[in-house]
Amino acid sequence: MRNEKWREETGLRAAEKARLPSDFIDVEHGLVDRKIFTDEAIYKDELKRIFGRAWNFMCHESQLPEVGSFFMNYIGEDQVIAVRDREGVIQVLINTCPHRGNTVCRAEQGKTRSFMCAYHGWNFDLNGDLIGVPGLDEFYRGGLKREDWGISKAAKVQSYKGFVFATFDPQSPDLDDYLGWVGKLGLDLMGTDRELVAVPGVQKNRIRCNWKLAVDNLFDWYHPKISHASAIRSGFFDEKLLYPADQMVMLGEYGHAVSGPKITMAEEEALAALSDSERKAVFDSLPGQSWRFTESAAETLGPVGIKSRGHPNIFPNLWVSTGGTQLCLRVPRGPAVTELWWFTFVDKNAPEEQKRKVVRMATHFFGPAGLLEQDDGENWNHSTRTCRETMTSRRRPLNFAMGKGQDMVEVDPSGQSRVETVINEHAQLWLYRSWAEWMEAEDWPALIANHAAEPRGRI
Amino acid sequence: MRIASESNAGTRNPDGLPESIDAKMRLQYEVEQFLYEEAALLDERRFSEWLDFLTDDIHYWMPIRRTTTAKDTENEFTEIGQMAFFDDDKELLTARVRKMAVGYAWSEDPPSRTRHFVTNVRPIAMHGDDVTVEANFHLYRTRLESEEDGWRGRRRDVLRRVSSQFRLAKRHIYLEQTVLLSPNLSNIF
Ligand code: FES
Ligand SMILES: [Fe+2]
Repeated sequence: MRNEKWREETGLRAAEKARLPSDFIDVEHGLVDRKIFTDEAIYKDELKRIFGRAWNFMCHESQLPEVGSFFMNYIGEDQVIAVRDREGVIQVLINTCPHRGNTVCRAEQGKTRSFMCAYHGWNFDLNGDLIGVPGLDEFYRGGLKREDWGISKAAKVQSYKGFVFATFDPQSPDLDDYLGWVGKLGLDLMGTDRELVAVPGVQKNRIRCNWKLAVDNLFDWYHPKISHASAIRSGFFDEKLLYPADQMVMLGEYGHAVSGPKITMAEEEALAALSDSERKAVFDSLPGQSWRFTESAAETLGPVGIKSRGHPNIFPNLWVSTGGTQLCLRVPRGPAVTELWWFTFVDKNAPEEQKRKVVRMATHFFGPAGLLEQDDGENWNHSTRTCRETMTSRRRPLNFAMGKGQDMVEVDPSGQSRVETVINEHAQLWLYRSWAEWMEAEDWPALIANHAAEPRGRI
Repeated sequence: MRIASESNAGTRNPDGLPESIDAKMRLQYEVEQFLYEEAALLDERRFSEWLDFLTDDIHYWMPIRRTTTAKDTENEFTEIGQMAFFDDDKELLTARVRKMAVGYAWSEDPPSRTRHFVTNVRPIAMHGDDVTVEANFHLYRTRLESEEDGWRGRRRDVLRRVSSQFRLAKRHIYLEQTVLLSPNLSNIF
């Protein structure tokens, strides 16, 4: 009894240790326990159960133009090298030498003929095969089989329209099935009918926050009016653009979602009523986004998707941003550290002037110096920090209940489903609900069997 | 290092810099005083006065740096036209300054406390009214209770003489970090 009283006073509940991931997420009331943003053991588990199983974004094919071109990335906290091998196939090698564990590549990008370990000189082909061992005959004297000591690789590497993903889990479904229609729509919102090429230069910077808070923010159309008030007030952004009333949400299996503004009927009609030259002026004011007004885009995105100007997240951590010109990866680097990696794209066939506009817009909006983004980091930093404060973290869950129970999922004859509503937190709550499913599943077959289907009816 | 030739009849070397020690000292002094005064304005958060220190065609640019192998160092920095952390003209710098002044600019409210250190100042070329200057810098920032960030690097500036005063016509900022260890870049370098 005394023990129970002590637990109560210190805020530790008897069941604390036995809690399941789903105990942290109260889907019905839209509440999320703060502990998931700070707990070391939960974070370690995320690296295994989420990043270790998911399809993780590696790079775009245009970043690996030639045999030997490589780009370094992470799966969870494991550093990997995406590299084009001699057959032209993209391989994802785990950057650790099987001999003593040293890394075999220290540059973040470049071109190489092979990866030679700087410790004892084991040399690996672009596909990971061990092709050179100093002293193979003299010292190993036949005791080392080279074919057994190639570099470890991701279980599968697949692309969707030029975007390369990899997974460590051989049981994962294929990328196409993993993405489902919402994930694919998310990537197609990059304008995939164009010939996209990555602009050289990935902005990387470190925010002292939990990665999930950075992810849930990408769905957040509630914050711009406040967080980004100075960008609006200084005349840099149109308030209507950052705080649009009409919203549309699409929720997909395994946690993918698209959430944000919807092109309204009125806007559509206004656009249709314009002359060609006026329409061109509108497109020119949206650098890199004129693709959205083409017939092929309408076909690729579908009747619902074409109306979305929202932000997709490819679960777990890939934000498809700003009208098909940028991707932002939220790379976990510890429970309270996240790196943001911005990839920028242009249509290879666009006029140079247009490309230049896209690049400048990307630098001015986002990235650490971006007039929008510079005001985000401290919020996430402090949200993470207060979750560590023992009293609050134990007692007060965070509120993700905006719109909860008040909206309906409608299904279009095309099969695409969505919620059309005002600003809401459906996608954020979906993210955390999916998070619990991923964390609770023992393996991929269990996740496939037990994950929530796309919601229907009232949500 | 190139040694200026004594026998050179002209008063300027091929970089356009003055030959005589007196003229060099004078130039060095003028350049340094300009940079120090500019740094003081920034640390005192007198940003609109700082804008007056810029020419209308200023290019303020910070490329992205990448870890490359020694033989690939030509690809270490992104080039103009590729992605960058800053790629600003005067209009955008003015917008940055305006943003800090209109209220609710959270990244600078409460204001950061900054200190600019400018060292190793070297005029490296002079053509017409333009003096190209290289300098090292350390920008220290602390915010709120105990947030701390610091950036070190090299600046290549072009100072232009406009009616007998220097104005900043170009600032290219080369950081040492590849992954920025700071949550944002809300300060002026
Ligand atoms: S650790 Fe790589 S060769 Fe020994
Ligand atoms: Fe934001």
